[in-house]
Amino acid sequence: MSWESVLPSVFAGDASRVIAPPMDSDAFAGFYERSARSLWAYLARVSGDPALADDLAQESYMRFLCAVRPAALLAEGEVACRRYLFRIATNLLRDHWRRPSTASIEEIPEEFFAATASSAQADSAALLTPALALMRPRERQLLWLAHAEGYSHREIAEITGLASASIRLLLFRARRKIARLLRQQNPQAGSQL
Amino acid sequence: MNLAACPREKEIAVLLALGAWPQAAAPELCTHAATCRACADLVLVTQTFQQARAQSAAAAPLAAPGAIWWRAQLRRRNAAVERMGRPLLGAQIFALAVNLVLAVGFLGWEARHGFAWLNWLEQLRQDSALHLDALWPSTLFTSGWSPALLIPVLAMLALVGGVVVYLGSEKQ
Repeated sequence: MSWESVLPSVFAGDASRVIAPPMDSDAFAGFYERSARSLWAYLARVSGDPALADDLAQESYMRFLCAVRPAALLAEGEVACRRYLFRIATNLLRDHWRRPSTASIEEIPEEFFAATASSAQADSAALLTPALALMRPRERQLLWLAHAEGYSHREIAEITGLASASIRLLLFRARRKIARLLRQQNPQAGSQL
Repeated sequence: MNLAACPREKEIAVLLALGAWPQAAAPELCTHAATCRACADLVLVTQTFQQARAQSAAAAPLAAPGAIWWRAQLRRRNAAVERMGRPLLGAQIFALAVNLVLAVGFLGWEARHGFAWLNWLEQLRQDSALHLDALWPSTLFTSGWSPALLIPVLAMLALVGGVVVYLGSEKQ
């Protein structure tokens, strides 16, 4: 047997082992349908840029599928996969902010929040958008993960890479700050409890 | 700053997470939330963020999952091919380095021995028994060319041509 006839089969075997997807197409479609909207909402609200959220959401799923970990994560369940996805998205956001040409958070397109919203939701968006713009990116991330996604302090620590012990303090400060900003914009906000 | 959590915060947080605030809350819990600063902040912020999440999620322009899946497969395949090609590239660089070292060593050795083989080639040309002059036009050497120079030049051209053809086919 010549080496030419052996090598291609060895390479083909390696390739199929390396390229084997962690999730088949149907399983991914289901996972995507269940997670894509909340991921996009997180990216859009925290970055303040819907176009950037489109790009980062797609890149997050690409990296999720290309990573080695998903095979192990699938065994842990969809909650772990979601957390891993949010972690990838958080890292992408951080990379984006570190780049010098990053867009300012003040450049939020107002029309983005006007579409298909009920009056209560529109009120919420009108209140939240300027308040979020006054928060630091890290605070926006923490607030969104805790109050919109409902993640625990330990899960937020895992997603953001911060120490679990510091999450409580950071979140407490951020919540107090945004609550004050929301009340300043709408003094009635606190009284509708 | 007082960091002591309100003992009732967890109850409120659970109801908020379930979307059952304030319908499922006891009246005294609602009264507490209205008077406790930490709980009031929690309710205000969580409700605002939940509404914003619902609105943003409804407006999310989603790409087709199939397209993302195939693009990811392509990226994985390209990465795998690149990983497998890396040892080959290393071997090529190593072979080139070895050849260069050998060539430099050979030239150095030849320089120390005065390029004796050039004299041998010259003698070969002048040897009447072989009649090497019949292989090329007689006018060629009247202009200063000699086979001692021509043969290394042709060998070098063949070598460089081979390398160029190889690199060209590699790129394709």
